[in-house]
Amino acid sequence: MLHKSVRVLHNIEDALLVIILLSMVTLAFSQIMMRNFLGTGSIWLDPLLRVLVLWVGLLGALVATRQNKQISVDVLTRFLPPRLKTISDIITRTFAAIVSAIIAWHSFLFLIDEWNSGVMAFASVPAWLPESIIPFGFSIIALRYTIQVIALVGKGLSGENKQ
Amino acid sequence: MIIALALLFLTLLGAPLFSIIGGSAMWGFHSEGIDLQVVTIEIYRLAEMPILLAIPLFTFAGYLLGESQAPARMVRMAHALLGWMPGGLAIVALTACALFTAFTGASGVTIIALGALLYPALQQAGYPERFNLGLITTSGSLGLLFAPSLPLILYGVIAQQSSLDTPVNIDDLFLAGILPGLLMVVLLSGWGMWKQPKGQLSTKLNGMEIISSIRESIWEIPLPILVLGGIYGGYIAVSEAAAVTAVYVLIVEVLIKREVKLRQLPEIIRESMVLVGAIILILGVSLASTNYMIDAQIPTKLFQSIHSFIDSKWTFLIALNIFLLVLGMMLDIFSALIIIIPIILPIAAGYGIHPVHLGIVFLANMQLGYFTPPVGMNLFIASFRFNKPVMELYIATLPFFFILLFAVLIITYWPALSLVFLSSNQ
Repeated sequence: MLHKSVRVLHNIEDALLVIILLSMVTLAFSQIMMRNFLGTGSIWLDPLLRVLVLWVGLLGALVATRQNKQISVDVLTRFLPPRLKTISDIITRTFAAIVSAIIAWHSFLFLIDEWNSGVMAFASVPAWLPESIIPFGFSIIALRYTIQVIALVGKGLSGENKQ
Repeated sequence: MIIALALLFLTLLGAPLFSIIGGSAMWGFHSEGIDLQVVTIEIYRLAEMPILLAIPLFTFAGYLLGESQAPARMVRMAHALLGWMPGGLAIVALTACALFTAFTGASGVTIIALGALLYPALQQAGYPERFNLGLITTSGSLGLLFAPSLPLILYGVIAQQSSLDTPVNIDDLFLAGILPGLLMVVLLSGWGMWKQPKGQLSTKLNGMEIISSIRESIWEIPLPILVLGGIYGGYIAVSEAAAVTAVYVLIVEVLIKREVKLRQLPEIIRESMVLVGAIILILGVSLASTNYMIDAQIPTKLFQSIHSFIDSKWTFLIALNIFLLVLGMMLDIFSALIIIIPIILPIAAGYGIHPVHLGIVFLANMQLGYFTPPVGMNLFIASFRFNKPVMELYIATLPFFFILLFAVLIITYWPALSLVFLSSNQ
């Protein structure tokens, strides 16, 4: 059973994906309409759409981690016996957790710099706001892999006790 | 060296590719004494490429089409229009799959969505079972070279990052894919005619059926005309075409045809964005690793060492074909593009290979990799979908493999086939 707060987080991620994608579709389409039929277009709509691509991408990556659908090479692992598969999963996911955590940490430091410098991204949106998805996204990915590793180690240990 | 081996080992153990690429980029920057915040800046460049908007929008539209009855209607119409030809049904299957794959981006959706319709139809027409299995599995990646397929767009995006002398234009890629893609369809159709069951007459041309099947598909017919006409005619940019496609498909399948219920949408959006997220994440970290590689002049050094024992363009192309065939067996097309293109593109440019031609060669090879034994992805998808042992699919796809291998060789050694329509080439 999933903890209630985890389920809430999952629902928030799903809802954000739906909201962002549908806004992208709507905004991109209305930009085309405005440009071609009214001869005008909004200046901030294009940068906003590009930021939304980053957001939908990283949110999608969060869900991919949750569903274990990150892209990887499975030439060998497809043929591994279950016990070795568990061990290789523990090793690779620990590695993925560490890499994600390092990226998250440095992105967080970067974000603080941007906050202090007061740089603007576009219109009156401060640069740190659209960038914030990077430390946030990678933190959650790192956390997810850590939790998966703990679960796998637990499974491995209990499996050994049975033998 | 030890780090490289460790990363290779982790890759083979099945570590997520983004962690391998991100890890190697960070290791590179770290050993040069560069602050790792640079990785964030590189990832943020994802928000500075207008063309990327096309990826989520086309993927969403493709998944939506796959959930509707549009594939069934398309098969019916293709049957009415082409079924009278010798080998007609095989040609119907190939054409329908190619068109569908071009719009859905070759993620295995074609086999799932169209296989269930075409397989029993082929069976009924008396084609041998093995032929049908082979045809459907092969067709799952056919159409990759036609606009607006996602791999073509992604190749353009990556090629634009590598600052070449010859700029790569996505519209040029779309033009370049036409003849090589048609070559594949024609060769496979020829095989279909050859294999047509003896004594089985093709269906007669039926005017009523044509009219009624067109009427049934009346809402979908404008879509390829709108998108392809818009792009090839130069009226709309690729990302705009993606927006138009998404809006159009959304309105037709959800509001007019009502084949996709409103409450199914969140699920469809989530599943399509999981694929997009996995691709975008790898693309983001690879922007960092590509930047590091260019800084460290790795492609230049690689070119020099390769050039010391391969000095002709043609020998290089042979080596490239073999390398890509093996690569296609191990990596899916998206990660292969993102990881390998930044390295190979400058090397190929050193041999005087046109970057657009290289793109078509790369994708044609990858298309073959989809069903190259023992680990091509579509072999497993088809094995799962039709409940057949993978071994049987190896045998079934073998003739198709050799036909397409022949096509790939023609595409590789006859650059004009890809480049003839390019304005910059004249």
